[in-house]
Amino acid sequence: MDIASLGGDLLGTIPLGDIVLYLTPFHLFMFVVVLIFTGLIAISRSETQVEASFKTLKDNKVSVGLEEFKIRRFLAIVCGLATAGAMITGDLFNFTLFVTLIGIINVGIVSAVKQIDVLDAAYNYGIIAMIASLPLFGGASIILASTGTLSLFEIAKIATTAPMMTFGAILLLIGIAGETGTAPFFASKAEMFRTPGSPFILIIHLSSLMVIIRAIEILLIIVKVI
Amino acid sequence: MNLMANIIMNVAIAFLLGSLLLGLHRKIMARIQLRPGPPIIQHFLHSLKFFFKESTFPKTASMPFYIAIACIYCAVWITAVIVGPITYGSLFVIFAIYAVYKIVEHNAGSSSGSPYGKVSCVRAVFSAAAELPLFAVLAIVFFQTGTMNIGDIIAYQSAHGPLVYSIPLAALMFFILILSKSPYSPFSITKGKDIISGFETEHFGVLRGYMMLSESISWYILLWVFLTVFFGPLSFSWYLIGMVTITTLTAIINATTPILNPNHSVMSQISIAILGIGGSILIMLLV
Repeated sequence: MDIASLGGDLLGTIPLGDIVLYLTPFHLFMFVVVLIFTGLIAISRSETQVEASFKTLKDNKVSVGLEEFKIRRFLAIVCGLATAGAMITGDLFNFTLFVTLIGIINVGIVSAVKQIDVLDAAYNYGIIAMIASLPLFGGASIILASTGTLSLFEIAKIATTAPMMTFGAILLLIGIAGETGTAPFFASKAEMFRTPGSPFILIIHLSSLMVIIRAIEILLIIVKVI
Repeated sequence: MNLMANIIMNVAIAFLLGSLLLGLHRKIMARIQLRPGPPIIQHFLHSLKFFFKESTFPKTASMPFYIAIACIYCAVWITAVIVGPITYGSLFVIFAIYAVYKIVEHNAGSSSGSPYGKVSCVRAVFSAAAELPLFAVLAIVFFQTGTMNIGDIIAYQSAHGPLVYSIPLAALMFFILILSKSPYSPFSITKGKDIISGFETEHFGVLRGYMMLSESISWYILLWVFLTVFFGPLSFSWYLIGMVTITTLTAIINATTPILNPNHSVMSQISIAILGIGGSILIMLLV
């Protein structure tokens, strides 16, 4: 299968041994968008969340303290860079590593918050992400075992899909769905967003959606139905 | 034609047609509900009006993100016009643009510090979990045609007939996605009236102008992608007829259906997505 039929004309390749990094307009768009958002997160100040107070007419303003601000900003930038890496990598194992790194950092970004509901949600999401890492890495290793390579550029050249490749792709899909908190694993992750701290919490959502889209491209490279 | 002139012309057409279609949508909904409703041109006039209004910024907002997010909203849909009607590029890029739109929806809500925006932000995460699988219908198009390039998909349909006949479930899924993005839809949980205007609540003046302009362009682009991918190749007049028909259909559905609870909305969409993807693959394997 031609890589260009998925993401547009090939703009260039960087061969690193049998691992070939390749860039199409699709990868370039995703990479640039992630970097723009990461840059904006790095220079923005945090929001002040306004909440209603019980038994009074006053507002309760919740803001992020300086120490918390610094650590969350750092983690958000690392998450942004990991997402950018996942957008342009041409290696399946690197992709799974970036996805797990994103999962760990997502929990870290909200773990400093002193809100029980948010911490509960982060704990639940953390458990799902940990469990999902098994099918994620398992899927990648099964694909390696059945194709002999983890290079997406090389996998794209394989004409037919072996049954074990399809099985590996299904495991990958389950792993990515758990790590990124998409349906049916969305509920706990969505609750994490109740915490104050925009724009840092944005990177949690950004990384998930971008990884899902890249994952669909990767799965279409592996599974050749046509 | 010069590329820059082509871009400006297509963006202007997208904005004009998109805002008139949204005006028509509102008019039809009003007439079904036995109200006179605003003139069809009202959405267009509203969009222009906001560019001349005073802009104010909440003290609680996350600056400069709060401003940048409205500009990014506009920029991504202008990019969609370039990738779609101008260059006939990859459908994957349009998919990525839609994901960025969901991110913008999320952060426009959370960056203001408003509780209404925050609820909309949480709901944006819920809805993205369901809408992206619906957009993943494009994978079925790839399985059928062997390409994600819009130009090649049009060429495939010229030779084999419209895709709506061969993968009707995929077309239905994309229609549900369009329905989700139409105003007052049963799935529009991010802009439910229980949270004022959702993520747009705290954006005023020129920022709201950008948002309304982007809304019009996004409506036009979603309809264009649907018609091109499932019915193409079409002439301009057929595009116009198709867009008016889909807008009318969504208006009728929205006027007679209440907004669903967020959990019900997500589970309905995800059920349709699973049935659509599974059913389409089954049909392709059997036929």
